[in-house]
Amino acid sequence: MSSQMYDAFHSPAQKQASQQQGSVLRGIVAGFIPLGLLLLLVVITVLLTALARQLVASSGFFVQQQAAVIVLVVGLIVALVVYIIAIVRTLRKITSWQQNCMIYQARAALLALGVTALVVMLPVILAIVLPQNPAL
Amino acid sequence: MLSRTSSSIAPVTQTQVVAKKDRLLRWIVVASLIVSVIVTTAYTAISIYIATQLVYVPQKPLYATPASLGLQFKYVTFPSRIDQLQLKGWYIPGVLPDGKLTSQRTLIVVHGTRTNRTDQKAGLLNLSSALARHGFAILAFDMRGMGESPPAPLSLGYFEQRDVLGAVDFLRTGPIPYPVLGRPRIIGGWGVSMGAATLLMAAAQEPAIRAVVSDSAYADIIPILEREVPKGGHLPPLFTPGALTAARVIYGMDFYAVRPEDYVASIAPRPIFFIHGTSDTYVPTANMNVLASAARTAPDAHIQTWLVPGASHAQSFHIEGTVYVDRVVAFYTAALGPDTSNS
Repeated sequence: MSSQMYDAFHSPAQKQASQQQGSVLRGIVAGFIPLGLLLLLVVITVLLTALARQLVASSGFFVQQQAAVIVLVVGLIVALVVYIIAIVRTLRKITSWQQNCMIYQARAALLALGVTALVVMLPVILAIVLPQNPAL
Repeated sequence: MLSRTSSSIAPVTQTQVVAKKDRLLRWIVVASLIVSVIVTTAYTAISIYIATQLVYVPQKPLYATPASLGLQFKYVTFPSRIDQLQLKGWYIPGVLPDGKLTSQRTLIVVHGTRTNRTDQKAGLLNLSSALARHGFAILAFDMRGMGESPPAPLSLGYFEQRDVLGAVDFLRTGPIPYPVLGRPRIIGGWGVSMGAATLLMAAAQEPAIRAVVSDSAYADIIPILEREVPKGGHLPPLFTPGALTAARVIYGMDFYAVRPEDYVASIAPRPIFFIHGTSDTYVPTANMNVLASAARTAPDAHIQTWLVPGASHAQSFHIEGTVYVDRVVAFYTAALGPDTSNS
């Protein structure tokens, strides 16, 4: 397709819309990076906990419990620290986008961070909302 | 002049409004992120702590041996199936009316939670003794993490099934405790509370268990945990799912799979005798009805039930005494057949 034909099909308004769409997508991706990192690290932590449990299985219950809890807690702390750093970096990026009038990109990233907050709270929300049927 | 001023002010105001909106959105998002991190971190930490407390049971020493009731016995050690934990127990040969010893019909006796193979509260040693005097050999053992067996997390049946299966393996292929009496011809099982639930799940996988007496078993552990975890931890119920998930991550145990009601139908055509106290508030009586109904869904099911009036949790033997023993003996005799060592 020649550039003339391309221009014929894409008016300035269409170009602007597609640019906006692209910046929104970039904003969403940037906003979800902290959540992606958190989920990845949590999954790795859970797998490492299972591995630690298996590796020390022959050492008895107390050693096994200690190893599993240490790996789990350290892994979760690392995940938390990485998550917080990623959020701070994303917020700084958003500030610079706002200063450079990249409003759509900044808003999309902010909204993605909002969704991230909800997703992180999801286990607690589900624990509150999902019904329990305690034995009477 | 006026018109110039107003036209120059208007775009600035619009930008300011947009900036103000964005600032507000930013603050809402930041506040949500902070709240979500604090709440979820606290929830996770408390859940992990509850999980470690939930599965830890201080081991109780045995208070007596069968010798104190005038019975012969031998200490035995055997590995659990799959994870090979060395479990401790004793083997009591059955005593026939003429005083001869027998091991033809052997019953695996499975105790409840936070106790051991002597379980004074449920009268386990006395019941073992009574059954032995009716000609049934008894293999009573401590499940993992209890009595003299090695420490292990309490999984309320999830891992303990392996202990019961290990007991079956021991009786079928392990060293014979009384070589003169030979290997057991037929195996049955008796369990109380968690032991009963565990026995039901093990029997569903192991056809060598030919008959099961289930006293005060639960149909599903989750409703009991949903009641007991908040009570024990003095915390709101919302921590129960978190604690159960943490237990799964730390110990690899899935409490949601501890549902004997899903297993009992596969025990048929082997008979099951369900016993439950009407005053059981720990594992409500409805559990027996659920289990019996589930077991009866098998076309060739042989199910008996007995609601013991006034008995609280795992107290049916204490309340009914010899009536309890007679009914259980009659059930086993019908299911396992008579002892033929004298014929």
